[in-house]
Amino acid sequence: MSFFHRHRGLTPYLLLGPGIAWLAVFFVVPLGFLAYQSLQSGNFDIGYAFTWSWGNYWHAIRDYHAQFVRSLEYAGLATVLALVISYPVAYWIAFRGGRWKNLLLLFIVAPFFVTYLIRTLAWETILSDNGFVVNTLQSLHVLGPSGRLLATSAAVVTGITYNFLPFMALPLYVSLEQIDGSLIEAAEDLYASKLQAFLRVTLPLSLPGVVAGTLLTFIPAAGDFINAQLLGAPENHMIGNVIQSKFLELTDYPAAASMSFILMGGILVAVAIYARIVGTEQLTGTAA
Amino acid sequence: MSSIAVPNARERNVLAGALAFVRRHVLTVYSLLFFAYLLLPIAVVMVFSFNHPTGKFNYTWQGFTWDNWRYWDGVPGIRSAIFLSLEIGLVASLIATALGTMIALALVRYGFRGRATTNILIFLPLSTPEIVLGASLLTLFLNLSFVTFGFWTILIAHIMFCISFAVVTVKARLVGFDRHLEEAAMDLGANEWTTFRKVTLPLTAPAILAALLLCFAISIDDFVVTYFNSGSEVTFPLFVWGAARIGAPPQVNVIGTAIFIVAVTAMLFNVLYQRRREVRA
Amino acid sequence: MTDQLTRRELLKRGAAGSAMLTVPGLLAACGGKAKSSAAKSTNKLAKTLHFSNWTLYMDTNKKTHSFPSLVQFQKKYGVHVDYVEDINDNASFFGKIQGQLSRGQSVNRDIVVLTDNDRYLSLMIKKGYVEKLDKSAIPNMKNLVDVQKHPNFDQNRDYSLPWQSGMTGIAYNDTLTGPVLSVDDLLTNPKLKGKVTCLNSMGDALTLVMLSNGDDPSKVTDKSFNAAFNRVKKAVDSKQIRQFTGNDYAPILARGDLMAAMSWSGDIAQLGNQHIHWNVPKDGGALWTDNMLIPKGGNVYTASFYMNYVYDPKVQGLMEAGDPKKNITGIYYIPPVAGAGEWAKKYDPSVANNPLIFPTQKMLDSVHLFDNSALNNQKYLTQWQNLISA
Repeated sequence: MSFFHRHRGLTPYLLLGPGIAWLAVFFVVPLGFLAYQSLQSGNFDIGYAFTWSWGNYWHAIRDYHAQFVRSLEYAGLATVLALVISYPVAYWIAFRGGRWKNLLLLFIVAPFFVTYLIRTLAWETILSDNGFVVNTLQSLHVLGPSGRLLATSAAVVTGITYNFLPFMALPLYVSLEQIDGSLIEAAEDLYASKLQAFLRVTLPLSLPGVVAGTLLTFIPAAGDFINAQLLGAPENHMIGNVIQSKFLELTDYPAAASMSFILMGGILVAVAIYARIVGTEQLTGTAA
Repeated sequence: MSSIAVPNARERNVLAGALAFVRRHVLTVYSLLFFAYLLLPIAVVMVFSFNHPTGKFNYTWQGFTWDNWRYWDGVPGIRSAIFLSLEIGLVASLIATALGTMIALALVRYGFRGRATTNILIFLPLSTPEIVLGASLLTLFLNLSFVTFGFWTILIAHIMFCISFAVVTVKARLVGFDRHLEEAAMDLGANEWTTFRKVTLPLTAPAILAALLLCFAISIDDFVVTYFNSGSEVTFPLFVWGAARIGAPPQVNVIGTAIFIVAVTAMLFNVLYQRRREVRA
Repeated sequence: MTDQLTRRELLKRGAAGSAMLTVPGLLAACGGKAKSSAAKSTNKLAKTLHFSNWTLYMDTNKKTHSFPSLVQFQKKYGVHVDYVEDINDNASFFGKIQGQLSRGQSVNRDIVVLTDNDRYLSLMIKKGYVEKLDKSAIPNMKNLVDVQKHPNFDQNRDYSLPWQSGMTGIAYNDTLTGPVLSVDDLLTNPKLKGKVTCLNSMGDALTLVMLSNGDDPSKVTDKSFNAAFNRVKKAVDSKQIRQFTGNDYAPILARGDLMAAMSWSGDIAQLGNQHIHWNVPKDGGALWTDNMLIPKGGNVYTASFYMNYVYDPKVQGLMEAGDPKKNITGIYYIPPVAGAGEWAKKYDPSVANNPLIFPTQKMLDSVHLFDNSALNNQKYLTQWQNLISA
């Protein structure tokens, strides 16, 4: 296909074209509506008018900064937990999976087939105040005699972690799977211990997966609302819950819109800092 | 220097052997525990699909019955809901993965203007709270008066939010990709398209499969965005949400279990098929 | 053109690239705006009735997986009811349809059902998002129980008709606690600390608390609101209240993680657990009613005709009670149709004696409605939501 040789400069744009166009029409345009809404004022009774109402943004921060911060905290904690929990498994599947790899991958996303609500209800049964888990923790004195796991921040973070495990595990696996085993062998031939080989060869090579997984987990988790609603007490509610209520119960669309932008902004800032630390090549990929 | 009891050679061997055994298997044990933890709710769901509840609710075990499986579509609407979800899941994940893979290739392999913007564009949908994502897409559809809500609007929405996941997943693979293999192929006379087909694509296949699985899982589980853009169509999550608020019938458990079993069976066949190919080779 | 346009038809037209692609456009071609299409329909029934309702709110035949009353309706009058259970929350359903309704577009539904102790029902009527009922097609409206005849959001029942009612009270688990019969107990008894939930619906929760304070919930003032609000806030801060819930209190209660919960009558009847008891609180409870509405663009005549069918005491009796002999489960909420009780008894005698389905006069006297204007008060609402999502 000499067409591609001659028009090499065109190739990236052809590749990007369909996907970006899709996002441009079905995401950016709606986002534009949202931005417009965020600068409106009014309520459902009298209607909404565009008034360059930057005050919406200020009010959102002033009134709900606690929930914003809490959301970033919970999401961050859940991301770290997910990483620590998933990495060994992704490693195991990638290096020891053999021909069972695809099946094991399926098991990782299997919980999603039974719908969010059902698996959260199942977890509520497992973490019930009178259940096996809580009783064990009580006898180990990790929890007080009237302690509980549900309706606490622990339950919310656990719920988020559980629900985002596939988002962390799959990218990790993807990155680990392509590591050439001969590199590790070479390291060991050069007298590295297994641990050193892992730290010096495997881990760095899996960094793109780590970055991908942490982004795919942290970013959506920060906007999550359902875990806090079902597993948390009012004091554990996240910014997603507030945006939800602004939109549905209060029909305060300008507030919901402006809060969403602040959330997005906060997340982008966090990601930018993260990119700095990790090094932008991992984040954005090196150009040819 | 204090004296340390130095193990003699034989003891050292046994110790080393024991440690090696543990090290070899601790990862396996850990992974099995992980899967147990992951699948625990599924197990609960499966068990309760055989429950015989006396009231509307299916929370406490009341007795075993095959009835729920026999009358799996005994709850009106559940059948069309699950078929719709499966259909949308398959189509959306295929299209989103295709689009996402192309974007990932462009991002990793080529220099072009607007790279930073593209990256931000990929991350933004992930960071947008579902409710405003769904509602603003709804606003778009409302302003296009020829749009009718239903299968197509749901599909469009699902593809939209799955693309980002596909891009990030496939990119993780492409970033560390060894270009030498492709260069070698081209040195041996293959043109770009053949190289892509015979070298790049097979090597990227695990990532594409992972992206497909992830997109499918997200699509089949999505509630908020779907709710706003579905018109009067009901997908499986919408059905469950409606029912579970008042009392999810056990048939919901049956369906969830059934999907899981079907998917596992499909993968098992895949394993057997691969084994067959290896034996023949 | 009186047939309700199905989505498939609209898609076909879209594919053909026809110019008349919008519903208003099509209706204009039919010679009338969405509003007047009803007046013009010369009493001809549409082929399909699109009915959106809450889940598990219709008599169901478990073996044939069908809705007997709807099947009967079709047999008798030739109208197929496209029954979709896609309403599970007033707020989200309203959020979903308000975009189209505010633009004057049809939502392809003839009947929707919203609750009166939430702001959306009155909002729909106030903003003109609903069609007027064709009362000439509903002679059975005379069977509407007296207490429902003149609600403050629809004085003359021009736009709405009740579907079913229910009560809000307190449920408790007798294996874990003695009877919890008052809001006082629920909010302050230290033995129940961390083991009670409150409803997240302001109308429900504050009705109960205001009654417990001795205030009238149907006439909310700043003073009575603040008094009730502060009481709830105190219970939240002291960790007495574990969570605010919708009807997801049911599984928590069933599991034994709760000793008592503010709850809706019908749910408890359905829990099937003899240890969980529901009562109207000592100082009074709340009465809520789900109402049928015809959203703009809906087929007024057919919808009204269906409402008339439902208000026949014989039909309502069957819907309410179901028929255990034929494997039909009923709705098990409070019917708004006088005389339904007699018919229900014939199908399932136990139902007629169930006070949660046919409450005693004493019970009905002790349940109250919430002030509708307070439901739309942005200040109150914001305060309440901030409490729930602290």
